[in-house]
Amino acid sequence: MWSDLLLRLRSLFHRKKVEAELDDELRFHFENQVSKLVQSGLTPAEAQRRARLEFGGMEQLKEEHRDARGVNFIETLLQDVRYGLRILGRTPVITSVAILSLALGIGANTAIFTMMDAVMLRLLPVRNPQELVQVRIRAPKSGTEMNGYFTNPLWEQLRDQQDVFSNAFAWSETRFDLAQGGAVQYANGLWASGGTFETLGRRPAAGRLLTAADDQRGCAGAAVISYAFWQDRYGGAEGAIGSDLSLDGHLFPIIGVAPRGFYGLTAGTKFDVAIPICAVAVFGKGSRLDGRSTWWLEIMGRLKPEAAPQQLKARLEVLSQQVFAAAVPLDWEKTEQQEFLQRVLVGVPTPTGPSYLRQQMERPLYVLMAVVGLVLLIACANIASLMLARGMAREKEMATRRALGATRTRLIRQLLTECILLSSAGALLGMLFARWGNDVLLRYISTGRQTVFLDLSLNLRVLVFTAAVAVLTGILFGVLPAFRSTRVSLTSAMKGSRAVKSDTRMRFRLGKWMVASQIALSLVLLVSAGLFLRSMVKLATLDVGFDRNGVLLVNTNLKAAKVAPELRLQIYDEIEALLQKLPGVISVGRSWRTPVTGYEWNEYVSIDSPSAPKGDDSLVYFNYVSPGYFATLHTSLLAGRDFQASDTKTAPGVAVVNEAVARKFFPGANPVGKTFRVGSGSHEPGRTFQVVGLVKDSKYESLREATLQQAFFPISQIPGNDDSEYFEIRTATRPESLNAAVQNSVAQVNKAISLEFGTLAKQIEDSLVQDRLLATLSAFFGGLALLLAMIGLFGSLSYLVTQRQPEFGIRMALGAMPVSILRLVLREVATVLFVGVAAGLCLALAAVRVLESLLFGMSTRDSVTLVAATLLLAVAALAAGYLPARRAMRIDPMDALRYE
Amino acid sequence: MTERRIDLPQGTLDLLILRTLALEALHGWAISERIHQISSKVLFVQQGSLYPALHRLERKGWIKARWGASENNRRAKFYELTASGRKQLELEESTWRKLAAAVAQILETT
Repeated sequence: MWSDLLLRLRSLFHRKKVEAELDDELRFHFENQVSKLVQSGLTPAEAQRRARLEFGGMEQLKEEHRDARGVNFIETLLQDVRYGLRILGRTPVITSVAILSLALGIGANTAIFTMMDAVMLRLLPVRNPQELVQVRIRAPKSGTEMNGYFTNPLWEQLRDQQDVFSNAFAWSETRFDLAQGGAVQYANGLWASGGTFETLGRRPAAGRLLTAADDQRGCAGAAVISYAFWQDRYGGAEGAIGSDLSLDGHLFPIIGVAPRGFYGLTAGTKFDVAIPICAVAVFGKGSRLDGRSTWWLEIMGRLKPEAAPQQLKARLEVLSQQVFAAAVPLDWEKTEQQEFLQRVLVGVPTPTGPSYLRQQMERPLYVLMAVVGLVLLIACANIASLMLARGMAREKEMATRRALGATRTRLIRQLLTECILLSSAGALLGMLFARWGNDVLLRYISTGRQTVFLDLSLNLRVLVFTAAVAVLTGILFGVLPAFRSTRVSLTSAMKGSRAVKSDTRMRFRLGKWMVASQIALSLVLLVSAGLFLRSMVKLATLDVGFDRNGVLLVNTNLKAAKVAPELRLQIYDEIEALLQKLPGVISVGRSWRTPVTGYEWNEYVSIDSPSAPKGDDSLVYFNYVSPGYFATLHTSLLAGRDFQASDTKTAPGVAVVNEAVARKFFPGANPVGKTFRVGSGSHEPGRTFQVVGLVKDSKYESLREATLQQAFFPISQIPGNDDSEYFEIRTATRPESLNAAVQNSVAQVNKAISLEFGTLAKQIEDSLVQDRLLATLSAFFGGLALLLAMIGLFGSLSYLVTQRQPEFGIRMALGAMPVSILRLVLREVATVLFVGVAAGLCLALAAVRVLESLLFGMSTRDSVTLVAATLLLAVAALAAGYLPARRAMRIDPMDALRYE
Repeated sequence: MTERRIDLPQGTLDLLILRTLALEALHGWAISERIHQISSKVLFVQQGSLYPALHRLERKGWIKARWGASENNRRAKFYELTASGRKQLELEESTWRKLAAAVAQILETT
């Protein structure tokens, strides 16, 4: 076998020599044959002729030898690549157009795939990520739905009693203000239990990481910073370790730096600083450690290598009973406690880590992947047409090569190699486009509140994907033209006459089919783009129940200012009074939460009536607001009164409700003056409130929600010691222009209060990230698809007109009016359009059904969208047909006939 | 062409080449001439099958090639049998003899 390998290698690397030897050997044979024939009495010329006849085709013979050498595959490939490059270089314009459109198509696919990879497929950068299991809770009544949040008592029970994980940890994401007063400077924080880094199995880049010893009740706290944070803030200096970092006004020593490339546990975010869970006490939130209804921690464990999945389930079920029994919230009602005890721990393998972004982006990403896939298909059809046309120009070349003994397979291989060369060049360029596209995408899905971070560095999976797309694309657009253009009739091609008529008609029909399918696919894209756009417009122009424009939102946080709880109300009142006086301020309101942030607080509400709503019907969403809040947001007060200064902490409990509450709880009656009780789980279980006012329905948590029942309470009656409130400031000018003035006013009261600015309009816009992304990108790609399809139609019609020029000439010479020629061309457009639109509509109606859940207030069979998309397509098709049609009408019969 | 030619049955060309090379090293043309003469001009090996066969045998390691001078002092490629080629020849010869005997027997008895 050695000799075999050596010979193969020899013929591969010493190709020239081997070829020359073959040449020598065959010539030697040939000459011997000739001289033998001469000796037998033939003339030299006759001998040569006879020998040549016997020999057959020298080149064919050589080719068979090459095959026998066994490395022909690689050799041919190299040969084809060299030849392909020469051929492509000979038509630089066509080649660049093809490469550019491929680069756009493949680049778009790579960009979306890179996002998908980062959001959904990438494993956590930790040791053996496939061993990681997220622990979640399944409540008996909620069916298959699971919740991933735990209280600290539950976590401590689980940590101390579990035996199925080699190690487990709990964590919670948060934000810390690095500034000491004034404008906030947020860092992404991580509450991490002591075993976090040990479980993940990562080593520090500098210093040391948190250990179990750092996470003991009563700890002073210590901070581990991320590698990126270390580089950005400290320039990677060793001195950073041991220095103090201020988080919400509390100082923590930095003990170490997390390894490079470890960005945290959830895709879409990155952590800057991690501190142990026990340190919540330092922030005055020690109650969180013992709170049995404070659900804030997520838990992950590393499965023991020997533990089977079945074992995990059984072990966790046993563990559930002990864990939940030891952490029952004692203030819950008996039935709720019973339900609590029946909850079960479930282990979900999470090698990619949990991610909110994943839930949010998964479906849009699938949709976008499909969209860019279709765009690439449409681009492929165009390039296939281009290749067909070029194949025709090379008909003679093909015929010559066939005549010289090349097999058809060989020619097809050569043509396919050229196509894959093209698509590979497109893919390389496309990777550049993808990098750029990813940056744009990331910026697009980031909001003022949350900068999305994704690790989009190139990896093997993305490379393999792109390479596969490139090869497949090349084959896709290459196969048909390759088969087509190698099917040549030798004689007619060699005679140099124009290709046989029937054949060109065939070719046009083929082109027509391709254009029709392009039109069909573009229609699918246009329809989905239309649906997303209309859905987006509906969301953006929705009546939200308040006026979003011209409102500045200022979050004030007293955490760092360390204000005594009893003084807080007074400080807020002082600030409000100062803000009222600022020039440009129309009115000021205050609230505990602002609308449309995705944050919710709801309670069960009851009234003394036999027809009182029960269960989820009695769920009401709460907020605390100041007098003037409704006026500032322009939410109409329909009956009763707004809150007023006399609604103090000690005054009777009052509430303003929205129409939805009035409809459900007090049907047909004026709610003002009625009373209701709040449920047992609230801050003030069982307290009674009197309704003093009725306001218009408005959005609470998101724009997509159905109208929610809402109740507002005076902010002066806020229980507990919440240290953060929002100011809503209606301004006469651009809201942001008041930032500095507001900051000044607050500093007059207390310099250590931290502030965060935003606008209501931006907040609502940010809640529509997913919709905006889908609408913009689908519109962009829909437009691109339309353009590509029209180029395809234009090309195909131009070709038709050129081919039928003599025919048109004869028709005109015989007296046909230009209009009838126009009709001939337009009939082609109409057929293609009709077939394409019919197929496209069927496809679109079937395909867009999956978009249902992504749309707002629209059916996927929205007739406006369907008609508009079809019309757009028809107009574009006519435009694309116009130029070739005009050319056909202007054919000079004499010219056309002379040509023939 | 007056000589009557018989197409070689599949697989026999290898045997003939090996057999021809068993006596001495020969170049391609000489191999085809030798086969032609010894078979009393019945068998004629086309160049189109000879050279691919030679290269195939070379790859299998049954023959090896070297460049040498021909009778009329020209550079020519000579093929010779290797040890494993000799073994292969014995194997193929005995197989062929058995086959030929069997065929002959059938032809005579029926």
